[in-house]
Amino acid sequence: MATKKEEKQFEKERKAAQKARYKRMKEVGLDKYLTPEQIAYNRRRKWIGAVWPFFRFVILFGLCFVILYPLIFMLSTAFRPNEQMNDPSVVWLPKSFTMQNIYDVWDVMSFDKTVVNTVILNIVASILQVITCSITGYGFARFKFKGKSILFAIVVLQIIVPPQITTIPLYLQYAYFKPEFLAKLLTNGETSLINSGWTMYLPALFANGLRAGLFIFIFRQFFRGLPKELEDAAYLDGCSPLYTFVKIMCPNAKSSFLTVFLFSIVWYWNDYYVSSSFFTKNDTVALMLKNLNTNLAQTLFDGQQVSVRQIIVWLEAGCLLSITPILIMYIFLQRYFIEGIERSGLAN
Amino acid sequence: MSEEIMNTPLDPEEVNTEINEAESEAAETAEETAEATVQEAAEEAEETAQDAADASKEAFEAESEAIAEETAAEAAAANKKPEKKHRLSYERRKGLYGYGFIAIWALGTIYFFILPFIESLIYSFNKTEVNQGGMKMEWIGLKNYRNAFRKDQDYSKALVEMLQSTVLRTPLILIFAIFIAVILNQKFKGRTFARAVFFLPVIIATGPVIDIINGNMDQGGFSGGAEQFSTMFEANLVDQLLNFLGVYNISDTLTETLNTLITDIFDLVWNSGIQILLILSALQGIPVSSKEAAQIEGATAWEFFWKVTIPYISPMILASVVYTIVDSFVDPQNSVMSIVLNKASNWEHGYSAAMAWAYFAIVAVFLAIVVAFINKFVYYEVE
Repeated sequence: MATKKEEKQFEKERKAAQKARYKRMKEVGLDKYLTPEQIAYNRRRKWIGAVWPFFRFVILFGLCFVILYPLIFMLSTAFRPNEQMNDPSVVWLPKSFTMQNIYDVWDVMSFDKTVVNTVILNIVASILQVITCSITGYGFARFKFKGKSILFAIVVLQIIVPPQITTIPLYLQYAYFKPEFLAKLLTNGETSLINSGWTMYLPALFANGLRAGLFIFIFRQFFRGLPKELEDAAYLDGCSPLYTFVKIMCPNAKSSFLTVFLFSIVWYWNDYYVSSSFFTKNDTVALMLKNLNTNLAQTLFDGQQVSVRQIIVWLEAGCLLSITPILIMYIFLQRYFIEGIERSGLAN
Repeated sequence: MSEEIMNTPLDPEEVNTEINEAESEAAETAEETAEATVQEAAEEAEETAQDAADASKEAFEAESEAIAEETAAEAAAANKKPEKKHRLSYERRKGLYGYGFIAIWALGTIYFFILPFIESLIYSFNKTEVNQGGMKMEWIGLKNYRNAFRKDQDYSKALVEMLQSTVLRTPLILIFAIFIAVILNQKFKGRTFARAVFFLPVIIATGPVIDIINGNMDQGGFSGGAEQFSTMFEANLVDQLLNFLGVYNISDTLTETLNTLITDIFDLVWNSGIQILLILSALQGIPVSSKEAAQIEGATAWEFFWKVTIPYISPMILASVVYTIVDSFVDPQNSVMSIVLNKASNWEHGYSAAMAWAYFAIVAVFLAIVVAFINKFVYYEVE
């Protein structure tokens, strides 16, 4: 295998050679070498090659603007003093910058505490989820057993059944958790798991966390794509399947693990439906953001009724605060998000 | 606990034979008790059954938690047995390991998915009331369903609207995703940046952030719904773009048409991140040789797209269709879901469960039809 650099070099050389050949042909007269159709084809390609990049740029620029517009707006609003929201002369750049909005929102959301809380919840749940989903995915990818297709159909069902259907029964299950001694053990003597992190950890521990079905599916596809010889060699050496999985398959699946882990973090971070059903005090960033306008009205306007327009600067500041951690992660690990899912072979 | 173990997909017969081979103590008790339960008196049977449950629990725990140790024991057992039998059981033993691997998931699924799933189905046939001890239920048969479709006007209307918009939106999102994916698959400067930007909605749009971006803020309960502020749609996006670029005062009709277009495009772009990603990954799986072959044959880019690209990515198109439909279906913001959730928060759990189930059944049928239809055109490469 040539390295990437070498490949680039080859590409360059090939293109140069092609160009030189074309030039020589042109000196002699093109119609000696090529049929009229080929000449027309080449001409058309050349023309498209000249115009298309321009169109492509326009399309991509416009669409990037559409995507980035809310973010630009967020940046522009979050640092602007509230009075300047109604100033018609301010469009993008406010006349003065202020950090006051950020400080206010930080206090209202008690952001430091919330973030630590959320990060712990997310990371623990995601790690548990990645481990158990990978084991399950491997089981589905590499073993033949009775009822496999039915069981896998259940995985697919888990993907398409909205969590809303099962939330209320689940709530009751957590609230009256059986066996009781286990609930007491987990929560220091209470019988209800509601409001404790276990409502997140327990499903994740049993490969049933947020979007677990999808992750099992991704892992299954990935492990199916790995060559069978890897394991056969390990089996011949007398490894047990579990040992083979840990020592042989996992190192090969690193990128896939990372991708699933990142997605899991993102989805847990953004989730407010599940957490709002099972938490009433245990606050996450998404929950805080969801209730931000109510909280803002209470703390900043003494519980008066305020329209969204009046508090938009704080709302946008809150948005900015809560997406910043995930955005920073995305900027640094962007490669793994995009390449990971490509390599994990979601195809087929 | 023991109930869950009984429900795990471990086939008891297989377990028995397996353990016979291992000749462990647990297996002996299990076997004894199995015979005992059939032949002996009820009292004894009860006792022994408990033993059996314990034994199978032990065996199960050994299976799922310490598979490595088990293997050692099994390998020892296999060495004792004649060679022939060992070969026969190899596939089956591997199969048992398969059960071991999915055991964690199976346990979790029973507790966290299947039980609540069935429970909610039961709710849907009951009049429910929440009190201190949990859920009080009263069987009323299909009344909830009948109410949902006959009496509740919003529900059937929302259902029809939902299906209509899904039918309209899915192809749009798909075409858009394919178009963008094809562009992003070409080589040009700033491609990494463009890809990163197009994938951004996946990271942001799943959370409550999108609510604020969309100005969909009346859930807080304090705004009367009269004054909604939308950072996105209040602003005239085309004007914003043009102003951003330094162009002012183009003709009104032009901006107006462009504006409606752009509003749709906003919706489109923010909802097609995953689809773009899926199709992009499929595009990268197209071998370079096929492109070269097509060029030698003189295919235009158009022909290449329809005759090579589309067949190659068709499995992924199917996946994207399914994802799109499911995504719009489970979105808590769609009209049907919000009715369902509303009812649930008004403590009408039985009614809301009935609505959710009816909805789920309709979408499942819809999905099955779509998949069956598209599957006819999907080209699977023979491997």
